[in-house]
Amino acid sequence: MPVYNRERYVVSALRSLVRQRDVDLDIIVIDDGSTDGSAEAVRSMMRETPCIRLFRQANMGVARARNAGLRQLPPEAGFVSFLDSDDISLAGRFKRDLACFMADPRLELTYSLMTLADRIDDERLEPAADSRTMTLRGISLSAAVFSRGLVDRTGQFDEDFEQAEDTDYLLRVFETGPNYELLDAVAIYYRRHAGNVTREHSGRVRNHLRAIHKSMRRRKADPSLHEVQGIFELKGPANWQML
Amino acid sequence: MRHANVYTIASKDIVFESFDGEAVVLDLSSGKYFGFSDSGSRIWQALSSGVDAQALIGLTAGASTIGPAELDGFVSQLVELRLLTRSDAPAQPLPGDLLAALAATSEPLNVSVHDDLADLIIVDPIHEVEEPLGWPAVKQAS
Repeated sequence: MPVYNRERYVVSALRSLVRQRDVDLDIIVIDDGSTDGSAEAVRSMMRETPCIRLFRQANMGVARARNAGLRQLPPEAGFVSFLDSDDISLAGRFKRDLACFMADPRLELTYSLMTLADRIDDERLEPAADSRTMTLRGISLSAAVFSRGLVDRTGQFDEDFEQAEDTDYLLRVFETGPNYELLDAVAIYYRRHAGNVTREHSGRVRNHLRAIHKSMRRRKADPSLHEVQGIFELKGPANWQML
Repeated sequence: MRHANVYTIASKDIVFESFDGEAVVLDLSSGKYFGFSDSGSRIWQALSSGVDAQALIGLTAGASTIGPAELDGFVSQLVELRLLTRSDAPAQPLPGDLLAALAATSEPLNVSVHDDLADLIIVDPIHEVEEPLGWPAVKQAS
């Protein structure tokens, strides 16, 4: 979990993980030079939950923070997932995914749905009654559980990206044709709020185009790589349409 | 006077960038994205910045010379894909560095269409969002 100035949300994100006592979690938090109380908020959780490990670095951006997290993976970690510091991991999502891996030893990746929500009840860790929601199979590292072998094979996050490093990473993963399973269950609530880094529009578009360009270039250089057909889709509500 | 063939970006849903001289275009309304050969990238750059299509005929590109039929076919394709549309604006001069870049290309004019990320591009996360809540620009169908 990379954290940058998210004292308002990071405890909810961590609570959503540590409540999942049905799996053996090692929670690696990289504080990317926060200037607010994020690190203190994480420490307050660590007193009761030793499975959280906090590492701090000067602010270097989310791609470098994610790579710092990957470097802290213990050798024995069999599976890897991500959670952003303002999102909520649904109870039972890891147990469900791990059951898929147990049932199919060749499986390398599970990829679930995400629900966007603009109001989250931080007590219940659920969308508030008056929240708008939208469920889709979108770009989210948190929707995935990766086998350790797939993470090692995929390598680092591309540090050229200020944003859309997750898009680039997932495209790289899917292009190689991993043995994946798409699960029709929601893995995370993605919190839409005024502080989302994804809301700075021109930079977001440029970074997204860069990810697409790199993907096309890889596929041109190596025709054995795949398009990522049939992965990403809008699930609901079914009656939404573009303005 | 020769009639100018000037084009412009077909709508505000068409966004594009060039990386190392390679153009990538995204149609936010359909979710399709478009890649180009090396010569196609340079011609896209010229046309999207308002250079007269006629002025490109006879230039060296893709280890050959751009013929009128080849260029016409390429431009028609970009118009049919709703990336470009005719414009009444005055033609812009062809930048000198683009001429040199075009001469250095090795592939014929080509545009490729991709729709594997369509749903993703349409809905999230790059679309313009409503203020102040940061919601994707969607409305409920009636």
